[in-house]
Amino acid sequence: MTTEPIPPQQQAQSMARWKDDEASLLGMLDELEQKHGYVPRDVADELARILEVKLERLTKIRTKIESGTRKDVEEHVKRWAKEEGNLIMILHAIQNEHGYVPREVAMELSRALDVKLARIYEVITFYHYFKLVPPGKHNVAVCMGTACYLKGAPGLLGEVKSQLNVQEGKTTEDRMFHLDVVRCIGCCGLSPAMVVDGKTYGKVKPTDISQIIIETRKKDEQP
Amino acid sequence: MKPLTPADLQVYAQRTAAPQNWIKVGLDTGGIAAGAGEVFDALDKEKQRLGLPVAVQRTGSVGLAYADPLVEISVEGMPRVMYGRVTPEKATDIINLHVIKHQLVDGLVMARRDRGKEIKAPTQWVLVSDTSPADGDKTQFFQFSMMEEIKRQKLEGKVQVVQAIDMGVYDEGVVVQLLPSGVTYTNVLANDVARIVQHSIQKNEVLEDLLFAAADKQVKVVLRNCGSVDPESLDDALTHQTYQAICKAVTKMTPEQVIAEFKASGLRGRGGAGFPTWMKWKLTRDVKADQKYMVCNGDEGDPGAFMDRSVLEGDPHAVLEGMMIAAYAIGATMGYFYIRAEYPMAVARVQKAIDQARARGLLGQNILGSSFCFDAKIRLGAGAFVCGEETALIASIEGKRGSPSPRPPYPSVKGLFGKPTAINNVETLAGVPAILLKGGEWYAQYGTEKSKGTKVFAVTGKVKNAQLVEVPMGITLREIVFEICGGVLEDKAIKAVQTGGPSGGVIPEDKLDTAISYESLLLLGSIMGSGGMIVMDLNDCMVDVAKFYLKFCVDESCGKCAPCRVGGYQMLQVLDRISRGLGKPADIESLRRMCQAMQKASLCGLGQTAPNPVLSTLRYFNSEYSAFIEGGVSYAKKMSAKAASAGK
Repeated sequence: MTTEPIPPQQQAQSMARWKDDEASLLGMLDELEQKHGYVPRDVADELARILEVKLERLTKIRTKIESGTRKDVEEHVKRWAKEEGNLIMILHAIQNEHGYVPREVAMELSRALDVKLARIYEVITFYHYFKLVPPGKHNVAVCMGTACYLKGAPGLLGEVKSQLNVQEGKTTEDRMFHLDVVRCIGCCGLSPAMVVDGKTYGKVKPTDISQIIIETRKKDEQP
Repeated sequence: MKPLTPADLQVYAQRTAAPQNWIKVGLDTGGIAAGAGEVFDALDKEKQRLGLPVAVQRTGSVGLAYADPLVEISVEGMPRVMYGRVTPEKATDIINLHVIKHQLVDGLVMARRDRGKEIKAPTQWVLVSDTSPADGDKTQFFQFSMMEEIKRQKLEGKVQVVQAIDMGVYDEGVVVQLLPSGVTYTNVLANDVARIVQHSIQKNEVLEDLLFAAADKQVKVVLRNCGSVDPESLDDALTHQTYQAICKAVTKMTPEQVIAEFKASGLRGRGGAGFPTWMKWKLTRDVKADQKYMVCNGDEGDPGAFMDRSVLEGDPHAVLEGMMIAAYAIGATMGYFYIRAEYPMAVARVQKAIDQARARGLLGQNILGSSFCFDAKIRLGAGAFVCGEETALIASIEGKRGSPSPRPPYPSVKGLFGKPTAINNVETLAGVPAILLKGGEWYAQYGTEKSKGTKVFAVTGKVKNAQLVEVPMGITLREIVFEICGGVLEDKAIKAVQTGGPSGGVIPEDKLDTAISYESLLLLGSIMGSGGMIVMDLNDCMVDVAKFYLKFCVDESCGKCAPCRVGGYQMLQVLDRISRGLGKPADIESLRRMCQAMQKASLCGLGQTAPNPVLSTLRYFNSEYSAFIEGGVSYAKKMSAKAASAGK
């Protein structure tokens, strides 16, 4: 079961269609950008290697990567520049945008704020809320607050795990579902509860799980 | 827009609250999860289709989480009624029956809590419900016989009889409530039906022998506006008397007078530790500094608690006003709300409240024409339980890891960015304006000698009506669980109530009659905590509960100090061994020793209180631990099979 993001080699391999023109190269980069919200440097590097792109083209790709990430980060830094203790708020903004905190963005942030990368990672890894790997397309969170725990949340979690074939904190192989265990979403009146893509399901029974998953999968079929 | 003046506030406060005809839908996170959004849309659509002069409004949660989605409705010619567990289909019924035909919708009504004692206007509606657990449900039979009796006495068409889903009274046999008077009869027998119709409905006489005269046990101070005010409207907040107290403070009182008022009120911090609020403010006020900060702690990490979320989502302006009063008292000009990122709706509503207040000059320079200047900002938590601890919270607002630091220096001397800082919990601040308006003496009439006032509890777990309750201190746990929340789910026997979350302990059945106060709970080996209250029935295994809470603390330990980092982990290993049936008799003693070491040597509150669930379960349910140790693996297997089947 893959839990790490798809390796850059594989990603690059899957999208490389060699046409010897600038437009197709940039097209691929755009495609990457759409998929990730920015251009991950490792994938782009790999792409350049496979396509045997010449040096100047590679530079062009680089500029695009850097400018994309930099613009992105600069905006957040500008918004929070005047405030003391802004790091966590900027990280929130980044995570809201990408769904996680990509390494490139963290590196760029370190440059823009003039804060050591280790300091940024110190904060990211301390808080449960910040993620370092991209989330799945659909996010499932099972509440494990005390009320839910007593009313059968462990049973729910087991059922979700076995139906999706995924461990907590991990993403399914097809990157469709990400499963998390959360501490109390404040809906104790509806316990046991779970949240799927922001929608809260209350008083869930293990037998309801398959229906919820089918419902969620259906959302993809509609255009 | 022009800044508000004290005179403007007066005009708003005297305005009769909103239009006469309104429907309010509880749109908080819990309500929306239960489908309140769809209900709101259905009500609004049906109202527009029929072109009715009724305003459909948004409000926060009134606290009755078990009956979400909730709809409260007031139309001319009808009593104010609350409907629970409303669906979009039922919402159209509410419009067509309640608003147009002036009939109640059957099987949805929540009975009134402010029960009447006399009948002034003729009874037009009767609510019936069987509240006794045993012998099957007699509600339908009573509804039928009441209707037959009404027909027999030639009142057909004048009086409507409906089933209620909740009477607010439990285990009192068949309960009948007459509307609009609110007179409530309990333990009604079949032969009382004719009497009720003949005397109470025909002649407006109260039957004293059946009357349930006891007043509601709840006193709403913090939750005074939750469920009635629109949390996203400053105008509506102003008509609900919000910002009157800060106006009184800045125009008529000195900061010292404000602090004195709170000394008289006896208000103590509602975040858990119970430090006197006035003293915290005075200590911060007494420190000389060029800049001071006011912080509102909304990092409600205690699993099973949702008081702060409900207040922030239901009445954000009240919390902001409380913060302003505290800032005025301590001399702060800047305030921070620290709110969990897991509560997006609370964050959005507080942000909206801040923006609205700033636009009308309630935040900024020279507030209400006085020399008081103040502004507020939001900082998001990021899912770390330890950040509820004040020094860790300060580190987190500063954008660092939320590691606690040793005290002293206390935040009142050296807090946020090294400046004097007062940190108050959401619930404390939400109560502040009401206390200042009505006076400290008024607040001090509630509660016990050392614990004054009211406290909000989130009662959940194996309880029939999981909800928020606000009760005077000194009430017993048994009253809360059985008289307000309707008792244990499926009428099983109660085993214990857990208070204080991962820092608290369990209180066994035989101690449920203790009057609640900070001191009494401490004596029982638990704490008041932020107000989470988890009801456990006979099926819940206490070793498992202890393990659950300890695991929580181990996960959440920041790792800075060894007693907490290592001690918690080792204890969890021992507990895990015991719960798998591999424990040794000496394990109990070693658990106790590790608990003591953690309590004494940990740096912050998290580590010091983490052993509480283990110690209190050892204290009251030692036999369960012994059973695991003596019973060995086969017993452990039996117990885990039982636990697994309980969830289904």
